[in-house]
Amino acid sequence: EDALLPTPQNISILSTNMKHFLSWSPVIVQGETVRYSVEFQGEYERDYANESWIPICECSLITATVCNITEDISATVAYNLRVRADVGTRRSEWGTMKGFFNRITTSLTPPLMKVIADGYHLLVELEDMGPAFQFCVLYWKKGQESRVQQKVVKEVSSVVHLDTMEAGPDYCVKAQTYVEAINRSSSFSQTQCVRAQGGTSMWL
Amino acid sequence: TAGNRIFHFGHCRVSMSMTEIRLGFTAIKANIQARDPIRTLSILSHPHSLHKVKSSDGCCITHHLFNFYVDKVFKHCKTEDSFINRKISSIANSFLSMKRKLRQCHEQNKCMCEEESTEKFKQILANYEGLNVTSAAIKSLGELDILLDWME
Repeated sequence: EDALLPTPQNISILSTNMKHFLSWSPVIVQGETVRYSVEFQGEYERDYANESWIPICECSLITATVCNITEDISATVAYNLRVRADVGTRRSEWGTMKGFFNRITTSLTPPLMKVIADGYHLLVELEDMGPAFQFCVLYWKKGQESRVQQKVVKEVSSVVHLDTMEAGPDYCVKAQTYVEAINRSSSFSQTQCVRAQGGTSMWL
Repeated sequence: TAGNRIFHFGHCRVSMSMTEIRLGFTAIKANIQARDPIRTLSILSHPHSLHKVKSSDGCCITHHLFNFYVDKVFKHCKTEDSFINRKISSIANSFLSMKRKLRQCHEQNKCMCEEESTEKFKQILANYEGLNVTSAAIKSLGELDILLDWME
């Protein structure tokens, strides 16, 4: 009878900005190509559907040791993940990730941001991080930190108009992301300051 | 974006995001509805539309319907299509998330059931049990947008 393959180990999830990747250590079989399959189980499957597991077909019999599970982690509940190895007719037991994964624990990074002084117009360009993301943009006149203004950007269009600037003072901007589905925000980006300059962009 | 909304069901206020459920359902709606051979019957809208339910009864009927879908419908909708099954899982797990939020209102007695909503839910159950379980489940899943539209 075919010897059982070793079970995939070190199964873990790297989740950043609501993108979730499952990874595991390779199973080594000399001279052979090992293939892996991934399945997930949400709280619903555990509690209401006989603890059933659902295969992720994009990660069925793959040679990579990482799988993008973002599409399937689409609710704010606890998920289980498991991986199995195959070589020809030989197969391993399922290796199940230790503990659950809930997307509420994803790590949120400050958004990439570019502040533009277009003549007297204060503009900001924000990174498109996907439909789950909104942005909170704070801007103020340098030296008037107590009079910060805020703009919530729900849909990332190309450029966002913040304000019309006066000539002379610097205008400073910083931004953070907000994910409604998990009700969490990132930390703020670095502050960037610009100054209006007679219709030409001016970086400081 | 994944738009959380504050739902007002009488005294019950709940912040929920329907967007992911809508996306999941839209992706499978045509496929699921094509599997429903019985065109002349509705689970949710027969004999009266959900829209006839008073807003003060909204929490009770929503609470019942969340339980209905989680307890009775989703588990009988397994298909041979992996994509469909994954989207149903997504919807089902999102329903669980919302069901938990609505339970808070239930526990704070802000989800009282008037006679009308109790009757309405009994009618829905009767419609459901009038069909064989798989047909009833598929039909109910195919009518999910009726519930989503009514909630929104």
